Amino acid sequence: MQVTFKDVTLSYDGKRDILKHLNFVIQEGSLVCLLGPSGGGKSTTLNLISGLLAPTGGHIFFDDADVTKKDALGRKVGMVFQNYALYPHLTVLKNIEFPLKMAKMSKADRTKRAKELAALVHVEDQLDKKPGELSGGQQQRVAIARALAKEPSILLLDEPLSNLDARLRIEMREEIRRIQRETGVTTVFVTHDQDEAMHISDQIMVLHDGHIQQFSTPKKLYASPDNLFVAQFIGEPVINSIPATALNHDLAGIVPDSILTQAQTAGIRPEALTLPQRALDPLVTLHGKVLEFDQFGRESTANIDYNGYQLISTEMSQLAHDTKELDFTLEKKGFFLFDADGKRIFGGDTPMVLVGDQSAQKDPAAAPTESGGDTHAE
Amino acid sequence: MKKVASILRYTILTLGALIMILPFFWMLSTSLKTQPETVQIPPVWIPKQLQWGNYVEAFKAAPFARYFVNSVIVTGVTTIGQLFTSILAAFAFSKLRFWGKNILFLIFLGTMMIPGEMLIIPNFVTLSNMHLVNTYGALILPWLASFFTVFTLRQTFNSVSDQTYFAAKIDGASDWRFLWHILVPMSKSTITAVTVLQVIGSWNAFMWPLIVTNDENMRTLPVGLQAFTTDAGTNFALLMAASTFVIIPMVVVYIFLQKYIIAGISNSGLKG
Repeated sequence: MQVTFKDVTLSYDGKRDILKHLNFVIQEGSLVCLLGPSGGGKSTTLNLISGLLAPTGGHIFFDDADVTKKDALGRKVGMVFQNYALYPHLTVLKNIEFPLKMAKMSKADRTKRAKELAALVHVEDQLDKKPGELSGGQQQRVAIARALAKEPSILLLDEPLSNLDARLRIEMREEIRRIQRETGVTTVFVTHDQDEAMHISDQIMVLHDGHIQQFSTPKKLYASPDNLFVAQFIGEPVINSIPATALNHDLAGIVPDSILTQAQTAGIRPEALTLPQRALDPLVTLHGKVLEFDQFGRESTANIDYNGYQLISTEMSQLAHDTKELDFTLEKKGFFLFDADGKRIFGGDTPMVLVGDQSAQKDPAAAPTESGGDTHAE
Repeated sequence: MKKVASILRYTILTLGALIMILPFFWMLSTSLKTQPETVQIPPVWIPKQLQWGNYVEAFKAAPFARYFVNSVIVTGVTTIGQLFTSILAAFAFSKLRFWGKNILFLIFLGTMMIPGEMLIIPNFVTLSNMHLVNTYGALILPWLASFFTVFTLRQTFNSVSDQTYFAAKIDGASDWRFLWHILVPMSKSTITAVTVLQVIGSWNAFMWPLIVTNDENMRTLPVGLQAFTTDAGTNFALLMAASTFVIIPMVVVYIFLQKYIIAGISNSGLKG
C-alpha cells in the first residue's frame, strides 16, 4: 500500500504543533525508517499512519483512498510495539490467532494461517508456550507474526529492537528485512539508531523538530545530507563541523566566492581527510598538527589541530607515529558547506563548480540541492 | 547477636499469632461448653465434656437454613454485581479518554473518606421511600458499586500498558472484547482478591441487614445470631456454636484463596 501524507499537522494541545505540514509518499513494498532524536515526531508520525492518532490538519491517503477519518482497524494496519504487547495469558498460537479470531475466521483456517506465520518467523516450535517463557527475540518474532496475521495493508514497527541486546538486535534487524522481502508488505519502522536504519531501510525519513529533514535512500543521506542536522545526525564517528571561516584562506580561489561568503559551517566526514599520497579526488591540501593518533586493528583515528579546530580522520593508518605536523588532503567526497540556515550549499550531489573550472558553466546557486523524486518537508 | 534477634523475632511473631488465634479458639471452646462453664471464673479453657449437642440445638433455635440461603443470595449477587460495575468503571478510568475523567475520579476518591455509618440513614430513607425495606433489593442495591474496588482494579489495569490496548484495537478487538478477553484475564489475581474480600465483607455484614430487615425470612446469618441474645441474657454456648458454622464457609474460601488475597492487597498498596 502506498502511503501519502498531504500537509499533515498535529498538535496535542492546540497551541504547539508536534508535526508541521508533513508531506511525503511511502512507496508500496518499500521498507522505510523514521529516524531522529527523541521528541522529533517519529512515533507520532507512525501513530498517524496507524490511525491511533488523528491529525489536526491535512489528509492521509492509502493508495488513492483518503483514510484520514478511519481508525486503525479500518486502515487494516499491522503494528509491532516496543514492548511487543503480547497477551501474556494466551499461548503463542493463540496470540497469533487473536486478530484472525476477531476477524471471525473459522477455527481451522486461523490455526492453519497462524502456523504458517509461525513458520515464517521461525517460532513454529514454541506454539504452546506463553509469551513469558520466550526470550526477547522470540517475543519479537511472535509480535511480528501477529501483526502480519491479517495481511495488513502496511506493517508498522515502533522501536521494535530497542529492548534487545546488541547481538540479538543485529540478528532481528536482518530478520525483519528478510520477512519484509518475503512478504513484500510495505513497512514503516521507527528507530533512533542510525546504524539500524542505515542497514535495513530502502529509504530513511529523518525527523527532527516536527519537520522532515530529509527523506531519501541511506546512501544519499550519508553522501549528500540536505542540511547540517542530517550531516551531524548520520555517520559514526560524527562529521567534523567547524566554522567555514576557518577554511576561508585555504578554499579561496578554489570554491567560488559567492558560496564562501554564504557558508557558515563546514562539514567534513572523517574519511574525507586523507594523506596526500592516498588521496582519490582531492579538493585542497591543508596543513595541521597531530594532537593524537590511535590505531587499533584495522581502524585508526587521528586527531588533528587545524587552525585551532580539532578534526578527526579515520583514513590515516599510514601515518608515522612520531608525526608532529603534516600536510593532509581534503577530499571532494564527504566535504560540505552549509549556510546560516544549515542548508547545504556545497558538496554532496550539488555539481561542484570550482573557480577556474571551464567544464561546468552552471551557476552553482541555481543548481538543485534537492534531487527530484524525494519529497521534503516545506 | 543474630541468634538473639532471631529468637526475639520468632517470639514476637508467635505472640502475634496467638493473639490472632485466641478469639477463634475461645469461640470453638465456648461452643462446646455447658451453660455454666461459659461464665465460670476462672475461665474454662477446655470444657470437661464436649457438648456437641450445642450445635444441633443452635441450628434448631432459629431458621438458619433460610438465613443461609439469604446470605448466599445476598453475597453472590452483591459480589457479582459489584465486580461487574467496578470492572467497567475501572476500565473507563484506566484506558478510556473522556471529558472530566480526572475530576470525576477525584470526586469518587473523595467518597472513600465518608464513613460508612454516615450513609446508613440516607440510604435507609431512600430505600424505604422505594418500598424496598425487607426485600433482597434493600440488602443488595446499596452495595452494587464500590469505589474501593474500582480504585484497586484501576491500579491493576493501569499496569497493563496502553500499547497492549492499542495492539488489541489494531487486532480488531472492540473495547468490550479487550476488557473481557485481555484485560480481565491479565488482572486475574487482583480480581480474585477483591472478589474474596467482597465475599467475606458481604457474608459478615451485620449493621445494614439488621437495619433494613425485620422480617425473619429476610435475615442473613450474622443477623440471625441475635436469636441467642434475649432480654434475659445471652446463651453464649449456643451463640458460639452458631457463629462457628456461620464462619466456616469464609474460612474455607480464605484458606483456598489466601495467595490471591495477599497478592491483591499488596498490589494496591492499601489495606482491605
